[in-house]
This record gives sequence, C-alpha cells and structure tokens, in this order.
Amino acid sequence: MATELNREKRRDISREYFSRERLAEHHYRSFNSFLNRGMQRVVDEKETIDTDIGDKEGEEPVHVELGDVRVVTPRVREADGSEELLYPQEARLRNITYSAPVFMEMSIVKGEEGDQRVVDSTETKIGRMPVMVGSDKCNIAGFSDQELIDIGEDPADPGGYFIVNGSERVLMTSEDLAPNKILAEYDTKYGDEIQVAKTFSQRRGYRALVLCERTRDGLLEVSFPSVSGSINFVTLVRALGLESDEEIVHKVSNDPEVVKYMLENLEEAEVQSEEQAIEELGKRVASGQGKNYQLKRANYVIDRYLLPHLHEDGVEEEDVRINKAHYLCRMAEACFELALDRRESDDKDHYANKRLKVSGDLMKDLFRTALNKLARDVKYQLERANMRNRQLSVNTVVRSDVLTERLEHPIATGNWVGGRSGVSQLVDRTDFMGVLSHLRRLRSPLSRSQPHFEARDLHATQWGRICPSETPEGPNCGLVKNFAQAMELSQNVEDEQGLKRELASMGVEGIPGLEGIERTTSPADD
Amino acid sequence: MDDGNTNSTCTECDGQLRSNGTETVCEECGLVSDENAIDHGPEWRSFEDDETDRRRTGAPLTRSRHDRGLSTEIGYGSGSRLTGRKRRQLARMRREHNRARISSKVERNQVYGFTEIKRLITELSLPDSARDQACTLFKSAQSEDLLRGRSLEGFAAATVYAICRTLSMARTLSEIVAVSRADESELKAAYDALNRELGLPTGPIDPTQYLPRYASKLDLDTDIEQCAREHVETLLDNCAIGGRNPSGVAAACLYVAANDCPDCDSITQASAGDVADVNPVTIRSTVHQLEEC
Repeated sequence: MATELNREKRRDISREYFSRERLAEHHYRSFNSFLNRGMQRVVDEKETIDTDIGDKEGEEPVHVELGDVRVVTPRVREADGSEELLYPQEARLRNITYSAPVFMEMSIVKGEEGDQRVVDSTETKIGRMPVMVGSDKCNIAGFSDQELIDIGEDPADPGGYFIVNGSERVLMTSEDLAPNKILAEYDTKYGDEIQVAKTFSQRRGYRALVLCERTRDGLLEVSFPSVSGSINFVTLVRALGLESDEEIVHKVSNDPEVVKYMLENLEEAEVQSEEQAIEELGKRVASGQGKNYQLKRANYVIDRYLLPHLHEDGVEEEDVRINKAHYLCRMAEACFELALDRRESDDKDHYANKRLKVSGDLMKDLFRTALNKLARDVKYQLERANMRNRQLSVNTVVRSDVLTERLEHPIATGNWVGGRSGVSQLVDRTDFMGVLSHLRRLRSPLSRSQPHFEARDLHATQWGRICPSETPEGPNCGLVKNFAQAMELSQNVEDEQGLKRELASMGVEGIPGLEGIERTTSPADD
Repeated sequence: MDDGNTNSTCTECDGQLRSNGTETVCEECGLVSDENAIDHGPEWRSFEDDETDRRRTGAPLTRSRHDRGLSTEIGYGSGSRLTGRKRRQLARMRREHNRARISSKVERNQVYGFTEIKRLITELSLPDSARDQACTLFKSAQSEDLLRGRSLEGFAAATVYAICRTLSMARTLSEIVAVSRADESELKAAYDALNRELGLPTGPIDPTQYLPRYASKLDLDTDIEQCAREHVETLLDNCAIGGRNPSGVAAACLYVAANDCPDCDSITQASAGDVADVNPVTIRSTVHQLEEC
C-alpha cells in the first residue's frame, strides 16, 4: 500500500524543507501578520484616548481618536540630522537598533456628543518598531544573493531575529496551554477527590481563568477573577438568564445519571429567578455597598470578567450572556462525566491542547502594553497642555520615545510583559547549525526547577511536530524542544465571522434559538 | 594594579599591554605580565535566562532627571499578590509617595521642562549626551532665576537650540519651533535670556553643520555634499559669509554643487530655500557671491 519514495526524491523534499526561506518561516509569517493586521487590530481595540479635560465646569471635553497605523522600513537618523536606510549589517556593526518609524493617524476631538469638531488631525510618528530581519518590512526583503553580498549580508542567513543595540535577539517560541478550551481534570480539596473543569478564557490580551468545581457533596461551584471564593453554579446560570429548572437541567445533559446530579444541585439552589440571582451575585462582588451599586457591579463583573472570550463584535450583550450560560453548562457536564467515569481527565500534554506563541504574537502583546503606555502619556500631556492654555496639537502631545522604549527594552533584556523573563535570547552564533536550531526552538513556560515529569516526557502527539531527540540535558530537559524538520505551523484564521458562516453553510448548528451564533471554542484572539 | 609597573609594553615582545579585571595581558603574545589576586568585579556571572536579577545597583545617575535618577518607588513585589486591606494600604502609600516625590514648584517646573526637553531631543533624533547637557542648562537657568515671567516651553526649546549650537550640530530656529510647544517669540525670548545671563559659548554657525541634513532632505549624494563643503570653504576663505544666514549659505552651496554635477538631477533655488527655511533671493545672492570668488 505504501509506495516507497525513492531516495533521490526524499532527498529533494528534505532539501526543500531546509531551504533558506523555510527555516525561519514561522517567524516571518507570524511577524508579517502582526505588521499587516495585528498592529492595526490593537489600535482599533484601543480606538480612542479619553482625557479628564471637561470634568470641570465650562470646559469642553477632549478626546483623541486613533486611526490607521503604518510602519515604514528601517532607517537611521544621524546626529547631523540626515536620515538614510539602515541595513542589518550596519546595525550590527554600529551597535544600533534595526527599527522602523511607526506612524499613526490621530485626531484631537473637542466638544460634547453631537457637537464635536476636530481640533487637529495629522499622521504623526509615534515611535520606532524593531523590525525582524527577513520580514516584509526589512530593507533586504527581496534582495538577490549578489545584492545581499554587496551590502555585507550573508545570503545563507535565515533571518527571523531582531537587532537591538547591535545584538541579535531571537524571540523564543513559547508553548502555552490552549486558551478557550474546557479541560476536565481531578483535583483534591481537603483530602477528597473533586472534579474540576477549567478554561483559560482569553480575549484581547486579557486572560481569565474560569473554574467549575464539583465539590465532595456534589454541588457545583464556579470561580472566576474579581470574585473571591466561588459562586454556586445554579445562581450564576440563573443570573445569566437560564431561569427554569427544566432549562438548566436540559442544557447540561440528558443523561439520566447527570440529571440526577443536577437535580441535587437545583434542590440546594439559593435563588429562583434572574433578579434574585443578580442580587445574590451583587452581595458577593460588592458586599457592604448600596443595593444599586451592587446590581451595577454584578452586571459589570458578568460582562467584563466572566468568560471574556465569548464576547464578539456585533453580538448583543443578551445573547453573549446566554452563550456564557451554555458554556458553563458544558463545563458542568464535563465535571459530572468525570465523576461518573464517562470520560477520562483531559491530557494537558496532548498537542491538541497546546498553542505556540511565535514572535508576532509576542510582539502583539508588547505593542498592546506599549500603546497603552503611550495613550496614558498622551492623556497626561494633553491635560498638562490644556492646563497651561496651550494650543492642543497632535505633534506636540506625542512623545515618540515612550513607545520606542517600551518596545526595545523587553527585546533587549528578555523581560517581557506579564513578568516572563528570558523571552528574547541572544542568537547562538557558535556555528551555522546553532543558529538554525536556535530559531526553531520552543520553550515551555513551566518552571525548570520542578519535576513536571509528564510535561518533560515525549508525547505521542508530538510525532512529526517536535524532534524526539533534540532537547538539552539537565534542568531544561524536555521543557526546551525543537521543531521537527517537516513541521508546518498553522496560523489562526483571519476572519472568524467568515469561518462561522462557512461552518453554518456546511450544516453546523448553533445553539437552538440563537441564529448565526455558536459556542466558540476557537480562540477569540491570537 | 599597575603599581610601580608603569611600562605599558610587553617585556617579551614589546606588544601592547591591556589590563582587564585581574590580569594585565599582552595583546600580542598573551603573556600575563601582572596579576592582582583580588578580583574587584562582581562575584557572580549572569546568564541569559537567570530567573532573578542579582545586580545590586540600578541605572547610573543622570542629570536629565529632576532627582538625578535616584527616585524610590513602592513596587508590586515578585511573590504572591497581596489581597484586601494590605493591597489597598499599599496603593494608598504609592499614591501619597508619588505626590510627595515633587516637593516644590521649582521642582515641578523642572520635571515638566525635562520631559519637554526629552521629547524635543527624541523628536530631533539628537544624542543622549545632548539631552543631559540641555537639562543641566535648564537647571542653571532656573537657579539664575531666568524663568520668571518667561515660558517653560520656551526655555525647554531654547536649551535644546543652545546645546545644538554648542555641540556643533546646529538646528535652525524654525526646525525647533516645528516640534516644540513654544512659539518662536517665546523661544527667542528664552534664548536671549540664556545667552545674555549665562554667556553661552556659541559663535557664528559654520554652514557645513547644515550640509548633511539638507543633502539628505534634498536627496543628494555624498559626493555632491562633499563638493558643497568645498564651496563653503572657498566662501569662508574669502570672508564672503559675513552677515549671511549660514543655513542659506549651506543651501546655496548645495544648489551650486548639485547643478555643477553633470550626472544628477538639478534642484531648484526654491526647493533649496524651502529646506533651509530661507528666501530664494538669499540663495541667489550667495550663488552670485560664490561665482565671484
């Protein structure tokens, strides 16, 4: 059955996989998609910068609207003021950063809602973005071998790294647990075994862990950020709009055993209606506060902190809540099935439960925090300028070094946002193979000082993806891995709405009664 | 380390000696000519992905911060996150600490001035040393009480302008005004005060300082810039620059150089004037002057 390829052909395929374009391809692809879409998406998420101007009486409110963002190719500005294109080799030799100016359209808008006018609108330089060697925005993109040699570049160099202050830094691909997936597993609490369903819900850089536990007396409890302790499952589901007993049971499962467990839960229910449930939740999230505030806070917490990945642009808040209720029911079902031995606990080391964060994803995280920092600075500068009765203009309120520093510093030191360290490493130039291996290396975020035997083991699902033998000896054994030769890294879909339409056209049904909306278990943000 | 042993050449091969940390080594043959038993460096080595940073010191002192970079900050710690009362207490302390950071009006103005200087410096892509000097100048202007009744933004811009001139990296007034929050009159008032009261070591601007910048703005080659440099020299030798705007002289020389060059697109007097922020008439008269020389 298996037709054996002859040796020559196999060699051709091997060679193709080891061509210059392929070796660090995952790095360029990821970084290019960050430059082409990711940056703009981060800016669009931010949308505006609000200021406190206008809080005083007789003052018109001011805010800044963010528009299109644009990156040019790397260039250097000399002390004498002349500006010219920068090539990687010059950046290495002169110990400067291989970075390109970033421009953004910004307009300062003054006035109340309905009577707004633009005070100043320009495209201004907001900072410099380190550019990956070999990416689309790199000055050597599309050069022939001879042209590369002429500017002092090695034609065989795979690229895929940054140059910051003259040193070549590669961003380590990190292997994280897949977000927005339900993982069911056993845990122990006070010496008893309990069942837990976990989801790392992630949207726009915000990550929230939602836990659904089945305690030893069979009651379901949910915990999520901003709520201390845990909340009764039935209360939360009712607060989300699933009111009747029948509905709740039906949504969890039709299995008679599970129904029995569910009925136990419903008997113990603290509340019967949506209003009562929200009140109850309000008491938990803002105890000791006024009743109105409690309700407001409860609604805010539900919409902001509970399963944020289910939010989607253009979907009603009402529908999102129902979706959240359904999602919680799936988590409950996972707990019960685990308790009934209908399923085994999920394997965290299975490669289906892993996602790789490549340079583009890491740069996106970095750009998001840098942009936030810039926005805070612009807000402060605007307020200062306004207080000193200065003309408000875009050019004078943007300090471009704010963004530049926030982008360069983490790449230079490896101290990434979110407290991770060692994310960027000096490219190993011991020999050519060293470089190749380094660019195709990936790292598990697990601590190397703990055993984590299962995480270090070779998992069957790594077949064809991860090299079974290349891993360091010593404390990092099994935590640092390397790509297999023929590994292909797939990217997240660009157009999620389109994907959903396509799925719907193929006969995938959403939750009944909610047309066109489905439970999303695919990453909402990557 | 080098006590008594002051000869800087190797005893064996007369090569250059170099000392690093503990040893004095010949660069040619590698002979260790002197050794200090005590290593004054750090007693640890740092590795790329070390989890903790074992450095004991922070960034060096700098003149470009109002507290010379010696600020304290109440951090967030590295261990488990605090909860409840303790966290709120720390948040309050942090806020009060931030308020107490700046004690006087003078200091507050200084902070504002320094951030403005920093912004100007990055906007003009000037080196960091210029920033330090501009900040020092700003501080001395403050201690001489020059700021009273004049604008902070004007002073920030004026210190940057002054430092550019003293460091021989001249920028025109209009270039500074374009990125500054001050208008030209504020900048001029502040610069006059600085120049008068502090006696800045500035002379007439050498037009060659403008050449590289204008050449890159006009998209001209380096050999044209070189040629323009020679034109400036000729003018200087003939003492024909007196009373002329150096920026205009630079632009005019570039104009002449570009037009003399056979294999490059010539530029117009208007475009040269635009870049240098002078009238085309100024360019024309300098061109005549150059032809006379």
